[in-house]
Amino acid sequence: MVYALTTGAILKGRIKKKSPGNVIKLHKRVGIYFGALILGSFIYGLWLRLENGESILASVHGKLGLIILLIGVLQVIPSLILKNRASYRILHKIMGYSLAPILIIDASWGLHNGVIAGTKNLVLFHSITGGLSALLLVWIIIEMLYPADRSLGRARIASYLTALLITAGCWIAGGYNYLTVYGSQVKPVILAGPHPWAHEVVMEAKEHIFVFLPIIAFALSITLFALDRDAFLGDAKSRRALTITACLALFMVLLMFLMGAVISNAGHTGAEA
Amino acid sequence: MLDIQERRPEMKESATSIASAAITIFLTGCIIIAHDVSTGFRQSLAALTGHHWISVSVVAIVLFVLSLVLLLGSKNARKSLKVYDIKLWSTALMAVTLIMILGILAVLIARYLAD
Repeated sequence: MVYALTTGAILKGRIKKKSPGNVIKLHKRVGIYFGALILGSFIYGLWLRLENGESILASVHGKLGLIILLIGVLQVIPSLILKNRASYRILHKIMGYSLAPILIIDASWGLHNGVIAGTKNLVLFHSITGGLSALLLVWIIIEMLYPADRSLGRARIASYLTALLITAGCWIAGGYNYLTVYGSQVKPVILAGPHPWAHEVVMEAKEHIFVFLPIIAFALSITLFALDRDAFLGDAKSRRALTITACLALFMVLLMFLMGAVISNAGHTGAEA
Repeated sequence: MLDIQERRPEMKESATSIASAAITIFLTGCIIIAHDVSTGFRQSLAALTGHHWISVSVVAIVLFVLSLVLLLGSKNARKSLKVYDIKLWSTALMAVTLIMILGILAVLIARYLAD
């Protein structure tokens, strides 16, 4: 998805690349692979639902999956068939950019439902904001790697949104859930289950390691806010430093996702035992 | 050369928040490890706000704001810590964060195995 978005932005000229090569061919190929992955995931989901005798449209995850599949089809097929794509370009661009957040929301929703049966809205909000933060961090990294005149402005917006989502969704909502629900309902189940280490090690580590993430996100936002546009465009060192910081924040988000999945799975196993 | 000299004040400020983050994460990481090792310290942290996790979060915010204000206000502190070097501080931030993550995990694994 990131590669398809990046090559699309290079084609549009939004992202500058010194040696563009055959970007259109690459964009097309990545689009086909991505479309195939979406189709495969949808068929797999459909098969699982049918096996349980449930309708695909009965869940939000299924509905979003269907929307993603339709967008994927509308992105790939006309691009391969139409010879004059000029009139279709705006729609292609809008659908391409809208596909990314929908996919993140659906993936977070699916991951959450898959790991813990019975959705808790607060945990779901926590997961989705984490997923969107990861997407925004990838956006910042791309802007750093392919700097253009308006890259700094876009990276600033992405960093402010990242700081907001991490603070409101991950820190406050996740912390509230940890203090009110986890300690009284999930923790005893994990400790009584077959994987007590999921709380003793993973959760204990996650709850504290997480505190580093908002600090890094705020540092990144303040740095981008304070950075001069000329310094940003002319100084590769600054951009590399910001890329390292954004990569670190992305690593932290992915680590939190992994730890969250392990904890939720242990809770689920503990409840079954 | 002159161009770089002119740009330096901007770069000083931009690296300040990354330096503050590195200092905050180092100190917060040390506090987390100490509260995992010492039950008394954990209890005193819990007594501060009602829950040890809230206390650690508050301490992290306070440390970040304090170090940021301190660095922005003191030219000498910026100079001695080489805060104008954004590359140095972003690398330091990454190294400190990863070391603290590994340190916290090591302490928790050791505690779990000892129990």
